[in-house]
Amino acid sequence: MKRINKIIFLSLLVSIGLALSVLESSIPLPIVIPGARLGLSNMVILVTLVIFGLKEAMVVSILKSVVLVLITGSVSSLMYSLSGGILSGIVMYIAYKYFSKIFSLIGVSILGAVGHNIAQVSTAVYIMSNLRIYSYLPILLITSLFTGYFVGLSSIFISKNLKKGLSHIFNA
Amino acid sequence: MTKGDKILIVAIIIISLVSLGFVKNNIVNYNEKYISIQVNGQEYKKVIFDNSVIGKTIPIETEFGYNLIEIGDGDVRVIEASCPDKLDVLQGAISSPGEMIVCLPNRLVIEIKGTTETREIDYISY
Repeated sequence: MKRINKIIFLSLLVSIGLALSVLESSIPLPIVIPGARLGLSNMVILVTLVIFGLKEAMVVSILKSVVLVLITGSVSSLMYSLSGGILSGIVMYIAYKYFSKIFSLIGVSILGAVGHNIAQVSTAVYIMSNLRIYSYLPILLITSLFTGYFVGLSSIFISKNLKKGLSHIFNA
Repeated sequence: MTKGDKILIVAIIIISLVSLGFVKNNIVNYNEKYISIQVNGQEYKKVIFDNSVIGKTIPIETEFGYNLIEIGDGDVRVIEASCPDKLDVLQGAISSPGEMIVCLPNRLVIEIKGTTETREIDYISY
């Protein structure tokens, strides 16, 4: 794969992730917990991880967090999304690289969602210096099961078709 | 979906339910409860539940944003907020010790705390 192809493809993935993030903020959730999100853009990170690798997934994840601040305008959410994105990326990479015999992409995605939530709640605990915020974690973990499952399911289909459809670019 | 996925899902459900039970059990019966309003990690105001504070509203204006909270009969809720998502308003009222309302953009935590000792009576006249 040529360098220019890779750059274009990664920037396309970043923009898809941004669009998904903006889209999911307009979808109402049945539960009201700070930090509970659908995590649709996690799909993009997971697909990047599968097709390219850790470095590219990190680039997409960090770029997405930074540019999203320019769209939504909430600077305070940058810390939460950055910490969550970095930890979930590392967790998903380890799970995908070393435990892919045990977990399918669904398991990888659930682990990533769990890592994302733990990092976000820890950031909130650090910023507000109140240890009791950790009491939100059990509920967040249960919600991350559902979102992680569907994100993983979609990522299986996306990465399968993407690998097939783009094989002439990847092999060039 | 592999066997490992299923084990992972069951494990996370068990862990979160156990820790949820732990959090709920940790809340013992307190003699008295009070509202602790914290902004950016520091206690901003402390309100003890009392007949005189029912229906009172407390505006919280800090460098991080504006919130208006209302105290009811043993519960407290946020009725106005300057944050974009208004999650703290949507959450409604909290009443038991250990419950909290968090507003991440405004760095606001409203927590109900309990004290195990009874409040000392200043003076009784017969």
